[in-house]
Amino acid sequence: MINGEIMEEKVTFEENLERLGKIVSELEKGDIPLEKAVELYGEGVKLSAMCRKQLDEAQIKIEEDKGA
Amino acid sequence: MPVITVSQINRYLGFVLKGDKNLQGIMIKGEISNCVRHYRSGHIYFTLKDDNSAVKAVMFAQAASRLKFEPEDGMSVIVSGSIGVYERDGVYQIYANDIVPDGAGAVNAALEQLKKKLAAEGIFAQDHKRPLPLMPRKIGVVTSLDGAAVRDIINVLSRRYPIGSIYAVNALVQGEGAPDSVCRGILKAESAGCDVIIVGRGGGSSEDLGAFNTEKVAYAIYNCKVPVISAVGHETDFTIADLAADMRAPTPSVAAEIAAPSTDTLYERIDALTRRAENSVSARLERARDRLASLNVRLTGQSPENRLKLSSNRIENYTERNKLAFSRYIERLDSKLCQNTARLESLSPLKVLSRGYSLVYSGDKLLGSSEDISEGDRVKIRFGDGGAEAEIIDKW
Repeated sequence: MINGEIMEEKVTFEENLERLGKIVSELEKGDIPLEKAVELYGEGVKLSAMCRKQLDEAQIKIEEDKGA
Repeated sequence: MPVITVSQINRYLGFVLKGDKNLQGIMIKGEISNCVRHYRSGHIYFTLKDDNSAVKAVMFAQAASRLKFEPEDGMSVIVSGSIGVYERDGVYQIYANDIVPDGAGAVNAALEQLKKKLAAEGIFAQDHKRPLPLMPRKIGVVTSLDGAAVRDIINVLSRRYPIGSIYAVNALVQGEGAPDSVCRGILKAESAGCDVIIVGRGGGSSEDLGAFNTEKVAYAIYNCKVPVISAVGHETDFTIADLAADMRAPTPSVAAEIAAPSTDTLYERIDALTRRAENSVSARLERARDRLASLNVRLTGQSPENRLKLSSNRIENYTERNKLAFSRYIERLDSKLCQNTARLESLSPLKVLSRGYSLVYSGDKLLGSSEDISEGDRVKIRFGDGGAEAEIIDKW
């Protein structure tokens, strides 16, 4: 990892959303230490913002295969 | 005139017929009867007839294996082939290369027959149907790239699901090469890493859907490693491709909608997850706060100040209890004393004397017996309320 932005670009929307889902399930278990919960929440908020940004900026990619 | 054999005449006739262009590579229309497939050789023998006439026909195993349906008695068909002589019996017959159903009824019958066959082979089985991916990364589209179908699909997906990508493979959707072309397209989309594939065309008459009613395409869909959505663009007719597909869409646009969720639902999902994270963290904080508060209350309870207060309370309490017990004890003693005094009083000799008894002393000595005195002795008599001195005059 050189810097955060490069990582951000590489992680797909689906992966971010999946990670967000995992964080929420983890938080909802309720038996995690408070400090860890707050840390996870912080990560969740970042992921949520990243997912929104990825959707906002998404541009469909089209590949055509002429011969079949 | 030379004499010839039966074999010679039959062979000769065979040559004659073979040389006649009108009898070679022709198509003959009729109804199948007495159809038998020889189970060991695989050859098919049947009679082709119309209202007035009949002719024997044979189709050898190799040609028979290419048939798209199973010939049955009563079917109207067009047989392609040539007329030849069966020398052993001296009969002429049709040597068939191909048989196709003739007319809508026969075509439908053949189609129904193929559906039945594929159903029996499990191609349409519900338990083979795979769930579509919730969020496909790459959506394959196998159709004619010149047609409306691919444009509709691209439009819908650009609007609804810009996060995805489309891999569009050009395929012939009608005509001779269409089934093979569609099959190749499915394989290409699969190996390009698509996680769902839309196969179809943008409508057309029933005959134009032929490619999607073939066994080949059905198997290509069935064997595809990722889910396939059929979009053959025909509201009423279910093609074999529709039945084999994991999901059927009435039009290519609907197929695109089925293939991927709308970004609206994705935004909603992000929001919902974020809310859940917030809720559970604030609940977690609330719990921590409550616990802290309750611990704090218990801790304050244990402060030295409080313990001292508690101890002095306890001492006060004991003192109070002590006092109470003591005063009760005194009370008890008191009442006992009263009782005893009363009893004592009742036993007092003075009390007895007041009832008429008297004590007699000689000097200080209380006399208990007449033995202790003699005539002439002086005695003191004690009454309840006073005394007297007396002299003993007589004894008895």
